[in-house]
Parts: sequence; structure tokens; C-alpha cells
Amino acid sequence: MGKVVIKNLKKSFGDLEVLKDINLEVCEREVICIIGASGSGKSTLLRCINALEDASSGTVEVDGHDITGAHADINKYRQDIGMVFQQFNLFPHMTVLQNISFAPISLKLKTKEEAQAKAHELLKRVDLEEKANVYPEQLSGGQQQRVAIARALAMEPDVMLFDEPTSALDPEMVGEVLAVMKKLANEGMTMIVVTHEMGFAKEVADRVIFIDEGYIVEQGPPSEIFGNPKNERTINFLNKVL
Amino acid sequence: MSIPELIIQTWPRLLAGLGLTIQLTIISLIIGGILGLVFGLLSVSKKKAMRAIAVVYVDIVRGTPLIVQAFFIYFGIPAATGIRLDPNLAGIIALSLNAGGYLAEIFRGGIESISKGQMEAARSLGLPYGMAMRKVILPQAVRTMTPALINQCIITLKDTSILSVIGIQELTQTGRLIIANNYQAFQMWTIIAAMYFIIIMILSKISKRIERRMSYGKSSN
Ligand SMILES: Nc1ncnc2c1ncn2[C@@H]1O[C@H](COP(=O)(O)OP(=O)(O)OP(=O)(O)O)[C@@H](O)[C@H]1O
Ligand SMILES: [Mg+2]
Repeated sequence: MGKVVIKNLKKSFGDLEVLKDINLEVCEREVICIIGASGSGKSTLLRCINALEDASSGTVEVDGHDITGAHADINKYRQDIGMVFQQFNLFPHMTVLQNISFAPISLKLKTKEEAQAKAHELLKRVDLEEKANVYPEQLSGGQQQRVAIARALAMEPDVMLFDEPTSALDPEMVGEVLAVMKKLANEGMTMIVVTHEMGFAKEVADRVIFIDEGYIVEQGPPSEIFGNPKNERTINFLNKVL
Repeated sequence: MSIPELIIQTWPRLLAGLGLTIQLTIISLIIGGILGLVFGLLSVSKKKAMRAIAVVYVDIVRGTPLIVQAFFIYFGIPAATGIRLDPNLAGIIALSLNAGGYLAEIFRGGIESISKGQMEAARSLGLPYGMAMRKVILPQAVRTMTPALINQCIITLKDTSILSVIGIQELTQTGRLIIANNYQAFQMWTIIAAMYFIIIMILSKISKRIERRMSYGKSSN
């Protein structure tokens, strides 16, 4: 059974129908990259997967839980769905260590000591051990995004969602963040990544999804999508970005 | 009579008046702060009815003069209900409700100044709304609100003088009563003005210091 199962998902903002009929099943340990033009609904789709947006109709199941109908339990389900944002959204009033350990402590999932030990371990994984006690504003964009990844991982999620994690970065910092994500993928994390980094999609994705005007127009392994796209709109899009 | 002579003659009463002024200010700001927080939170609620409640409260406070609010509570309500309030109590109620309205707007502004991404990041970690608000949004909002909060403290301190109209013997009323005896209006109002001025200058100095210490990565932890 799929880790994330999306059925007939529709989402409108007022009169604007952004997602028209999305069906998608993501398996455990699978890495999905979502590509598509600006405004095609990529972020909206991702945000429906942890209920930051409410679906207009259809269902989104994560780990067997229907998150669209279950508002009482959404806080619980979200603990298992990590999210990394384009703008990092680190908490500026907390140190790096506090950013990472704060949620597990506040939600009483771990003691302070356990959470901080875990945070140090995660900082080692993203290669920022020495930054534990600085504030986010003292970090570069690439470092902030790696902390944001560590913060999401601190909840020990089953699925990680990434919304253009490198789009706000200076070019020289993109690599360090992608490297962390690649490592995560290799360790078997289930990942859904909205990205404009076609190189990353080619190399790391198990499956690439092309979204246009609220529909999944084409999907398949990267070799298919990039090497031999079938749909005209996919071809047009790839011609523009490659 | 010279000003120093007047001070020597009247200082116990002046200090008592000043003491009451400060007491009224502190109590009203505490109650007003709670009201401001509650109504500020209502005004950023997703629910329309909640926001409407906050709008009505803030509009009533802002749309009527404090002196009318004080008269309404001290004279109006007893006339309708027969329940007489102690003037100090009526004054505290009026001043708290008034400060609460302005503080609600300050809280709303502070909360809205924090980027939406902060709430989303907190919620995406599984934090319930209230916890995210308390631990992520409000600490940041209060920092940005600090100048406005201190400004409101100063305004409320000055507004206590309006309560002299319902007979509360705070600093201004004390001055009036003294002048009624000694007819030294010029000197007495100079003294009273200086007393307000000094207190407010001290408050401003403290606030500057707090503001300076508020930047991230220095004092916070
Ligand atoms: N909260 C909202 N209210 C109204 N319209 C919205 C909202 N969020 C998104 N939209 C609209 O929905 C459409 C899809 O937005 P979305 O952010 O999902 O696109 P995207 O594919 O992520 O684009 P980008 O590559 O620029 O990030 C856009 O037209 C956008 O203006
Ligand atoms: Mg987007």
C-alpha cells in the first residue's frame, strides 16, 4: 500500500481551480520529483499533503490516515510528515539547537536531553555541528536550509515534503542542500520534492511528475520524462527549462 | 510663594497623588494587557464571528472619548442599575477597557507582522495552533510590538489624569484640590507637569534600553 495516496484531489481558491483532479500514489522509500511551470499548482498539491491547505474535494491519505477529513487529529498526523519550505522559515528567536529540539520537547515526545542529543546528531548529519548555539540570522541561506531539514527530521517523519528547497538560495549554496537531500533519499526516506533542479530530479528521483494546469500530465522514471517525453506540454516545458 | 516652598509644603499630598496615578496605570495596564491579548488573538482568528467581536470592542473604545467612557461607567451604569461603583474601581474599569482596545490593535499588528511561514512551519511540525501562537508567534510579535507597547504605557499614564473628572485623587486632581486652597495655579501646575514629565522620561529611557537589548542573538535565550 502507498505511503501517500491521493485520490481525485481538487482544490480551488475562490473561483480559481488550481488542482483539478490529482491522483497519485507514493510508495514507501520512493523519491518523487514534481516539476511544472510557475502557478501550475505544485506548492498547492504539496500543501494539501499536510493539510496546510484544505482540499476542496477528494482524499489524501498518509500512512493510512485520511488527513482531509480528520481535523481533530491533524496535529498528530503532521508529526509524521516533515516539510521544508522555500524560505526556510526557521524560528529567528531560537538558536539552531532550539529550532531543532523545540517541537519534540514541546509536544512531549522526548525529554529535553533526548531531544538535544538527537538535535546534535542531526546537525552532524547536515554538517553543521559547530553551529548549534548560533541564531538563524547568523547563518547563510544554505546553512539555514540544512537546519530546516534537520528540524523536520527531528520529528522522525515517515514522509518528507520539500517545496523548492533551493530556489531562494544563491547558486553556490544549492549544492550543499541537494547533497543533504540526496543522502536522505539514499537512506530510504520517502520524499516528495517540488523542484526546478532538473539535474537533481534526473539523478535522485524514482519518478518524475509533470503538472500542468492542475492535472498530472505525465509521469514516469526520469529517463522517460527527460529522455523521451510523450506529451506535447511536457516537451514544451522541458524545452524551456533545459 | 516660590516653587520650592510649595513643594516642601505639599509634597506628602503630591506623592500620594503620584502614587495613585502610578497604581492606576499599572493595574489598568495589566488588565488592559490581558484584554488586549485576548481581543488581539480574536482579531487574527480564522473565524469571522471571533473577528467581529474584536472589531466591535476596538471600534467602541476608539470611537468614544475616554472621558465619556469614564462618565458612562461611573454615572451611566449606576443610573441604570442602581449599583454604585467606587470611583477608583470605575476609573480602573474605564482605563483598562480603554487601554485594552488599543492594546488589542497593537497585538493584532504585532501578530500580523510575523510572516505566515512561521505559523506554517510550526504547524507542519505538528504543533497545535495555540502552542504555535504561544511559543513561536507571540515571542516574536512582542519584540516588534515593544515600542508601541511602551507608547501605550505612556498614554495610559497620562490618561489617568482624565479620571480626575470622576473625583479620583490621582496627581492631577490632587493639584486641583491644592490650588483650590492656596490659589497658586502657575506654580502648582508647573510642579505637576514636571512630575508627569520626569516619570515619563524615566519610562522612555527604560524603554530605549529594553529595545536595544531586544535584538536577536544578544540577550534572548
Ligand atoms: N492562498 C491562495 N489564495 C489564492 N490563490 C492562491 C493561493 N495559493 C495559491 N494560489 C494560486 O494558485 C495557483 C497555483 O499556485 P501554486 O503556488 O500552487 O503554484 P506553483 O506551481 O507552486 O508555482 P511556483 O512554481 O511559482 O511556486 C496560482 O495561480 C496561485 O496564484
Ligand atoms: Mg510553489
